Amino acid sequence: MKNAIEVNNLRKEFKAYSSRSGLKGAFRDLFTRNYKVVPAVNDISFSVKQGEMVGYIGENGAGKSTTIKMLTGILTPTSGQITVNGMNPHKERERFVQTIGVVFGQRSQLWWDIAVQESFRLLKKVYKVTDEQYDDHMQHVIKTLDIEPLLDKPVRKLSLGQRMRCELAAALIHNPPLLFLDEPTIGLDVLVKLKIREFLKEINEKYNTTILLTTHDLSDIEALCDRVIMLDAGKVIYDGALNDLKENLADGKELHFQFLEKVDLPAVKKVTGGLPVKWDYDEKEQVFIANLDNDDLLISQVIATVVAAFKIKDIKINETSTEEIIRNIYEKGAVEVG
Amino acid sequence: MFYVSMFFQYISQYVKTRLQYRADLFVEFLSDLMSQAINLIFILVVFGHTDLLGGWSRDEIIFIYGFFLVPYAVFSAFFNIWDFNERYIVKGELDRILTRPIHSLFQIILERIELESLLGAVTGIAVMVYAGSRLGITLTWYDPLLFIVFVIGGALVYGGIFVVLACISFWADAKTSIMPMMYNISNYGRYPVNIYNKLIRFVLTWILPFAFVGVYPASFFLEKEEWYLYAYLTPAIGVVFFSLSVFLWNQGIKKYRGAGN
Repeated sequence: MKNAIEVNNLRKEFKAYSSRSGLKGAFRDLFTRNYKVVPAVNDISFSVKQGEMVGYIGENGAGKSTTIKMLTGILTPTSGQITVNGMNPHKERERFVQTIGVVFGQRSQLWWDIAVQESFRLLKKVYKVTDEQYDDHMQHVIKTLDIEPLLDKPVRKLSLGQRMRCELAAALIHNPPLLFLDEPTIGLDVLVKLKIREFLKEINEKYNTTILLTTHDLSDIEALCDRVIMLDAGKVIYDGALNDLKENLADGKELHFQFLEKVDLPAVKKVTGGLPVKWDYDEKEQVFIANLDNDDLLISQVIATVVAAFKIKDIKINETSTEEIIRNIYEKGAVEVG
Repeated sequence: MFYVSMFFQYISQYVKTRLQYRADLFVEFLSDLMSQAINLIFILVVFGHTDLLGGWSRDEIIFIYGFFLVPYAVFSAFFNIWDFNERYIVKGELDRILTRPIHSLFQIILERIELESLLGAVTGIAVMVYAGSRLGITLTWYDPLLFIVFVIGGALVYGGIFVVLACISFWADAKTSIMPMMYNISNYGRYPVNIYNKLIRFVLTWILPFAFVGVYPASFFLEKEEWYLYAYLTPAIGVVFFSLSVFLWNQGIKKYRGAGN
C-alpha cells in the first residue's frame, strides 16, 4: 500500500530575537539584534499509510502545529522532504490542497455571516465538486453529523459543538483521501465528542480516509488511533502502537486507600516498611496511593498489611492510566520501550 | 475561466451577506451617499479659490480630481487590504486561505470586496462631467473605451503598490504605519505633477507611480498633447506594477511564519 504521508528529516527553524534588558539594552537592540535560531521541528521522519488513523501528540510548543502546517502546505520547511499524497505540499499548493481536508479546532473555515449551506455551496465551487458527487457524499455526511437543522442558520449563531460538526462537514465536501484534524474536540461536550469520533471511524472505514489527529484529549486518541507519534521539543520520541506504549510502561499498579481514622504518610510507610512500595498522598482527595509492581502476591501482601494496621474506608486497584503514562513521558522527555 | 466564475460566486455571496442586514445596508448607503456629496462640495469650494496652477486652469484641475476618483473607487472596492497584517497574519486567517485551492491573493481580494466603494466612481464621473462641460470637451467614440482602460490601469497601479505594502508583513513582524502614510502620498497624484519639483515628479512617475492614477490619463481627455505618451503608458505601468507585486507576494508567502495557536 502506498504511503499517504512521507516525511524525511523535516526541520523548521524560527528566528527569534532575544531583547536585552534595560533602556540601554533596548537602544543596542535597535542596531544589532541578538538572533537565536530555534528549531521548532528538529529533523523528524515518519510515514503514514493510506487508511491509517494516527494520533500526533505532544505538549504545547512541542512542534505539533508547525508540523501540521508544513504537511498542509501552509509553511515552508527549512530543510527536509515532505511528500503528501505524492506531492510536495508547498510547491504544488493549489493542486495539493484539493486532496486534503483540514480542520483547525480553534479557527473557523466557514464564513461567519452567511448560512452554513451557503458556505458549503461556495466551498463546493472552490473545490470544483459536481452536483452528483456533492449530493451523493454530503447527504450522508449531513445525516450522520446531524446538522440538517443547522444548514440555514448563520455560523455566528451556532454553538461551539454545532459549529465544529459543520466545520467537519465543510472539510469533507470534496471527499479528500487525507484529513488533518488539529484539536477537533477542544471544548466540546461528551456527546458531541462521541458523535464526532463515531463519524470519523465511519468515514475511515467507508472511504479508507487517512486521518492525522492532534489533540490534548487522550481519550480521543484511545478511541480512534491505533498508532501514536509523540513529539517533544521538536523531536519524535515515540512512534508506534498505543497498546505497546501502555503495555511497556504501564507495568505498575496503583492501590488507592482511604482510611476511617486520621493517618499520616510516615505511619503508612512504616507499616509496609519491608515491601517494595512507593507511597504518595493526594491531599485534595485524601487518598493514599501505593505504587507497586504488577505482582499479585505483592498486592495482596500490601493490602493485608495495611488492612491489618488501619481501619479502611475504601480500597481501589488501578492500572496506571494512559494519561499518567504520557505525563510521565513528558516529564522525562524520552520513552524507554522494552 | 475558473477564476472568473469564482469571482462571481464570491460577489453573489457578498451581496447575500449584505442583504442579510437590511437596515445596515440602508444606513450605509445613505452615509456613503452623504460623504460623496460632501466630497463634491469640498472639491468645488477648495478649487474655487485657485485660478491657474502651473499652466492648468481651475476646471482642468477639477477634471483631474474627478478622474482620479474613478480608479480610486475601483481600487477601494477590490483592494481592501489595508488591514492585511492584522487580520490575516496576526490572527492567522492566512492559514485558512492557504488550505484552499485558489491563489491566496485572489482569495483575500475576493473576501474583502467592498462594492459600495464603487459609489465614489459616480461622484468622480459627476465631477468630470461638470468640469468637462465647462471646458467644452468633446468625446469621440473610442474615448469611453480608453477611459475604461485608463481606469483599470490606474486601479492596478494603486492595487500593486498596496499589495507590495501588504507583503512587508511577510518579512517584518511588527505593525508598520506605512499604509496611512501611503494614502497621504497617493493624494499627490490628484494634482498636476508639473507643479512639484523634479524629484517628487520622478518618484510619482516611476517609483510610486500615483501620477498614473490621476493626472497622466486625465490629461489625455484634456487634450494636453505633451502628456499623451504618459497617458498611453498608464495600462502598461499598471500591468507591470501589479505583476511585480504579485511576484513579490508569491515570494512572501514562502516566508510566512504562521501565527501561534
